[in-house]
Amino acid sequence: MLDEFMEGFASAREVNLMRIKEAKDNGLKVVGIYCTYCPQELILAAGAIPVGLCGMSENPIAIAEETLPRNLCPLVKSSYGFAVSDTCPFFHFSDLIIGETTCDGKKKMFEIMRDLKPVHVMQLPHLSNTKASFDLWVEEIRCLRSRLEQELQVTISDQDIWAAAEMINKEKKAIKAMFDLNRVDPPPLSGMDMLTAAWSRSFSSNKVEMVDNLNGLVREAANQPKNGRTKASRVLLTGCPVGLGTEKVIRLTEELGANIVAMENCSGYKTLELQTDIQGTDPIVELAKTYMAIPCSCMSPNPYRMELLNSMLDDFRADAVIDLTWQACHTYNIEAFEVGKLVKSKGLPYLHLESDYSNSDLESLKVRIEAMLEMVEK
Amino acid sequence: MADYKQMWTDLGMDLEKHDVLCEVLPEAFGGIYLTQQDRPKGMDFYDFVVSEIHGVRPAEMLQHQKEGGKVFGTFCVYVPDEVVFAAGGIAAGLCGGSQFWVSGGEKVLPANTCSLIKASVGARLDKTCPFFLIPDMYVGENTCDGKKKAWEILAGEVPIHIIDIPQMKRERDIAAYEAEIRDFIATVEKVTGNKITAESLGAAIKLINNKRRALQRVYNARKASPVPISGLDALLVTQINFYDDPARAAQMANNLAEELEQRIENGLGVFPDKAVRIMVSGTPMAIPNWKLHHIIESLGAAVVVEESCTGTRYFENLVDESASTLEEQIRALAERYMKTNCACFTPNSARVEDIIRLADEYKVDGIIDTNLQFCNLYSTESHLVKQSMNERNLPFMHIETDYSEQDFEQLRTRVEAFLEILRK
Repeated sequence: MLDEFMEGFASAREVNLMRIKEAKDNGLKVVGIYCTYCPQELILAAGAIPVGLCGMSENPIAIAEETLPRNLCPLVKSSYGFAVSDTCPFFHFSDLIIGETTCDGKKKMFEIMRDLKPVHVMQLPHLSNTKASFDLWVEEIRCLRSRLEQELQVTISDQDIWAAAEMINKEKKAIKAMFDLNRVDPPPLSGMDMLTAAWSRSFSSNKVEMVDNLNGLVREAANQPKNGRTKASRVLLTGCPVGLGTEKVIRLTEELGANIVAMENCSGYKTLELQTDIQGTDPIVELAKTYMAIPCSCMSPNPYRMELLNSMLDDFRADAVIDLTWQACHTYNIEAFEVGKLVKSKGLPYLHLESDYSNSDLESLKVRIEAMLEMVEK
Repeated sequence: MADYKQMWTDLGMDLEKHDVLCEVLPEAFGGIYLTQQDRPKGMDFYDFVVSEIHGVRPAEMLQHQKEGGKVFGTFCVYVPDEVVFAAGGIAAGLCGGSQFWVSGGEKVLPANTCSLIKASVGARLDKTCPFFLIPDMYVGENTCDGKKKAWEILAGEVPIHIIDIPQMKRERDIAAYEAEIRDFIATVEKVTGNKITAESLGAAIKLINNKRRALQRVYNARKASPVPISGLDALLVTQINFYDDPARAAQMANNLAEELEQRIENGLGVFPDKAVRIMVSGTPMAIPNWKLHHIIESLGAAVVVEESCTGTRYFENLVDESASTLEEQIRALAERYMKTNCACFTPNSARVEDIIRLADEYKVDGIIDTNLQFCNLYSTESHLVKQSMNERNLPFMHIETDYSEQDFEQLRTRVEAFLEILRK
């Protein structure tokens, strides 16, 4: 039954917390990361455990606002708040933090986080389509490799990196296969199911096990033609990262009887088509190609996101799109202008929501989502 | 304002909407500037420029285009004007500084984008400013998120060359910026049809350096006590320097500096000797954004220095004029521009050092660090500035505002309270 697998993913955070604590006790290292642009392959190749630290709770925001401006995005504030209040065990166990200059808020927050832990910031290029940007990013990944070697007292061989790249390729394939289950109607997985499974990736200290669980889920779903769920409006979610703790838009949409069938966000489909070519000659160059292709709105221009959205709208036969921007996120907010044009050109209703981690706007969000769902022709 | 209606019509401007601006601006300028006492004679030129703001300089640009010349609109102090002038072009800083244009920008940009970006985009889309319609090309850059994404929207409107600004200042980042200057040279050569040589770039470097020297002279005069020129007037000089002819701008600033140096000798100030001396730091104040200076100075305190793009970050540090080959000149340009300490860099501790140095040089009593609302860079960095100021017990205050008048009274009360502490 699918539920067994779901329980496995739902408990991933606690299970892996215990494992990481144990691993720390016998000398293993933990590296905290905040973004899909961080090449996890290098951390795995260094024999360390990558852990996603993106803050997905409103609780630590108040303490973060004693230092950070209020009108900074909730994800940055929540992440910093967990760090400064030392209330996130994963941050606590991290031996090194890796950040990137993705957006203004994060770039400047990491300068302040340096007081708490060693932080290595990678300079992510602005432009997605120039040789200079690509060369810069290759250099940044090389620089990360030597920082990891120095910080964790290891040597990272090319062989280690190729093996890690293969592992991450497999993981992406498995997560993509899980998301692709929802191409059928009715979709076997609810939005919450998808999010729970995908989100557990950021805690998994054992990638092989993660891939097996996902493949098991896909096999189980495949030999269950009738998944007993009901047909309903099929909504695609895009925009800023959404994780367990900040899933209010998914929950509201599904309480209103619609199905969130796909998530383009970085916690969802965004990176899953991007496989690293492990037959290349230089693993760092191959990794750079994969990561430079990630269609995040912090890149300019960002055509691949529109292409990805366009194919997802068809593949998942979406009836409508919700584009969620966390308050004060400039890049996704401004790029929503482009997404809106694309979705409307396909004749689908498009709802752009700006919100934060609080529950103060649940009712107004609900009303707006409901109004949009009514526009979906039955 | 002389009659430029024909010029504006030919540019395709929305005359009806533009008339509304033409009514508002003189009143604002009059109320803020012309009510000041003992203003230096040298300010007459700048008053004239404001009175003809959409007339004289745009007409010169159009004349330049008639003679085959090209005009480039820029939006950032990291764009090397020297390259444009070396190719016989005109570079003009276009940042929008008025609430009048903000709603135009909000047609395509989210409301919580900073006013400067919204006003700049709005001035273009609403067709109510000749400076935005004349350029043959805009020069954009990706210093911040808002600008980086706004150019993608404007790209459909006007040809844009994007200068890719690094976010760190390691050796390879300076080299990367050097490569960007070479790309920019190639674009400018293509658009103007003129080759840039060591000779023409050398002349352009001197041209812009002279402007920097003249502005530094005006600012040096503000180190004196009593201060011989108001912060409002000094700000206006810098704002106009962004788009005026560089040679004329240097000459006019030198005239003004001469007069100020004379005033210092005679002990003539525009504020009493014991007036509180304030440094304003943070995000740029594009013309006609005079709001914070007006608030501070109407409360009897003098703004004596701006650590801002419309201040020291615009003119400090000269380009090394001894560079003789094109390669050396490009390197010298890269090194000079990379000494500018904008919050888009990480880390940016050099900016804090600038503030500490300037606070000493200009003998300031307090620092008002300000950022335009929704600027995540300067608002977040303000915490680090505050930390350093507290360590040196330099009185510090942070203000977040925009171009509207709504928070005027609230800001006045806050600044008044801050000044009272300083007056003790």
